[in-house]
Amino acid sequence: MIEFRHVSKQYGRSSAALADINLTIDKGELVYLSGPSGAGKSTLLKMIAVMERPTSGTVSVNGQDVGRLNASGLPYLRRNLGLILQPQCLLNDRSVLANVMLPLLVVGTGKADAEKRARAALDKVGLLDKAASDPMALSGGEQQRVAIARAIVNRPQIILADEPTANLDRASARKVMDALKAFHGVGVTCIIATHDESILASAPRVVYLERGRLAEGPVQDSLQGAA
Amino acid sequence: MIVWLRQHGLALAGAFRHLLRSPGSFSLNVIVVAIALALPFAGLTLLENVRPVSEQLAVEPEISVFMAMDTPRERTTALAEQIRRIVQDSGNAGKLEFIPREHALSLLKNKTGLDDAITALGENPLPDGYVLKLSGVRTASDAAKVESLAAQLKSLPGVEYVQIDSAWVKRLAALMHVLRLALLFLAATLGVVVVAVIFNTIRLQVMTQRDEIEVCRMFGATDSYIYRPFYYTGALLGLCAGAAALGAVAIALHPLNDAIADFARLYASEFRLAPLGLPATVAMLATSAGLGLMGALLSVRRHLARLA
Repeated sequence: MIEFRHVSKQYGRSSAALADINLTIDKGELVYLSGPSGAGKSTLLKMIAVMERPTSGTVSVNGQDVGRLNASGLPYLRRNLGLILQPQCLLNDRSVLANVMLPLLVVGTGKADAEKRARAALDKVGLLDKAASDPMALSGGEQQRVAIARAIVNRPQIILADEPTANLDRASARKVMDALKAFHGVGVTCIIATHDESILASAPRVVYLERGRLAEGPVQDSLQGAA
Repeated sequence: MIVWLRQHGLALAGAFRHLLRSPGSFSLNVIVVAIALALPFAGLTLLENVRPVSEQLAVEPEISVFMAMDTPRERTTALAEQIRRIVQDSGNAGKLEFIPREHALSLLKNKTGLDDAITALGENPLPDGYVLKLSGVRTASDAAKVESLAAQLKSLPGVEYVQIDSAWVKRLAALMHVLRLALLFLAATLGVVVVAVIFNTIRLQVMTQRDEIEVCRMFGATDSYIYRPFYYTGALLGLCAGAAALGAVAIALHPLNDAIADFARLYASEFRLAPLGLPATVAMLATSAGLGLMGALLSVRRHLARLA
C-alpha cells in the first residue's frame, strides 16, 4: 500500500509543486494520474521512488516512511519498484538486451540467469527479436517497450510509469498500455501518469492533479483515494 | 559471498570495458602517471644498488696506528700484545698486522709509482706502524666503540697518530641517508601528482558515465556497486603506469651500465646497476596500484556524492 499524508513539495520560493496531498493506493491497484503539464504528476511519482523528498508530510510504501530513508536503505526500496520515466534513460553504449539485464546485474543476479530473464521480459513486450539491437536504432514506441521490459525484469511490486505513451502513435501506445495492464493483471501495483484521454476513458481509477493539488477533474476519483 | 565475488567480477569487467573503449586516452594517462613514477623508481633502483656496496665497506673498518719516529723497534713490537688486549677488552674482534717502516716504504713505492721522488728524499720518512682490521662492525653503536678504541690506542706510549678509516664510510652513510630522505620527499611529492592525475581521470569518467550511474541508482544499485568499477579503473591505471615506469627504468639501465662499466673498470670493479629484485618490484607495483586506488577513492567520494 502507498500512502501520501499531507504531502507538500516546494522548490525554493516558487509555488508548491505539490500541496497537501492525501492519497492511498492499495496493493495491486491500477491508478492513473492525470492533469495538465506542471500539475505535479511526475513529482508525485518521483516521491514514491524517493527521487524527490517531501517538504512536509509523509509518503509511505508498505508502511515504511520512505521520506526518511537514508542512502543505504534507498537501493532496497527501489529494487521493488519498476520505473518507466521520461526520458526512458536507455544506455546507448550497449544493446537492448544489456539494458534490460542491468537491473538484475545491479542486484547480483548471475549473468546467464540475467540474460534468460531479460530475454523473457523482452518477449513479454514483443521485442525479443530486437535483443541485439542498438536502442537508438529502435522507434519511440519500441524504446518505450524496452523501458517497460527493463522496469519489469526484476519482478517489482510497484510499477511507476511517467507518460509511457507520450509521443507514440496509436498502435504503439496500445501495445505499451497492453504490456502494463498485463503486469497489473498478475497483481503488480501500477501508477501511470498520462494525458491520454483515450486511456483515461476506460480507466478504473484516475487521480486528477491541478497546480499541485488533488482536484475535481473530467475523470477522477480523488475523494475515493483521499483520506 | 558468491554475489559479492560476482559483483567484483562485474566491476573489474566494467573497468576493463571502459579502458578498452578509450585506449588512446588510457594510454596517455598511463604515460603521464608512469613519468611521475619513473623518477622515484629510478632513485630507488640506484639506492638499492649502492646499499650493498656501502654496507660491505662499512663492515670492515681499519685503524692505522703510527708510531713516533724515534720509538725503538723493540718497544714498538712489544706493543702488539698490549694492543690485542685493548681490542679484546673493548669487545671488538680483529686482525692486527705490524707494518715495519721499510715495508711501508716499499708499499708506497709500488702503489703510487713515486719511486724516484721517494728515493730523492734520501731517508725513509715513514714510521713503524700497525694496521688493525676490525670485523663485525655493523651498527652505529659499533662505530662508536671503534672511536673509543682508537682513543685508547692513541694513549699508548710511543704512539704518534691513530687514523680510523671509517670516517669516510660514515660520510657515505650520511650521504646515503640524505639521498634516502630526498628520495622519500621526491616520492611523496610525485605520489601526490599521481593521485591528482588519477583523481582527475576518474572525475572525467564519472562525468561521462553519469547516465549509467543514474540508471543504476534508479534500479537499486548500492553505492558500493557504483563506486567499485571506478576503484578498479584507478588501481589498474596505477598498476599499468607502475609497470611502465619499472620497464622504462630497466631499459634505461642498459646504456647507463655501459658508461658505469667503463668508470668502474678504472677502479678494478665489476659494479653494475641491476633492476629491482622481485620483492621490491612487487612492492612498487602494489604502491602504484595503491596510489591509483587512493586517487579513485577521493574522486569517487567527492563527485558521486554530488550526483546522489
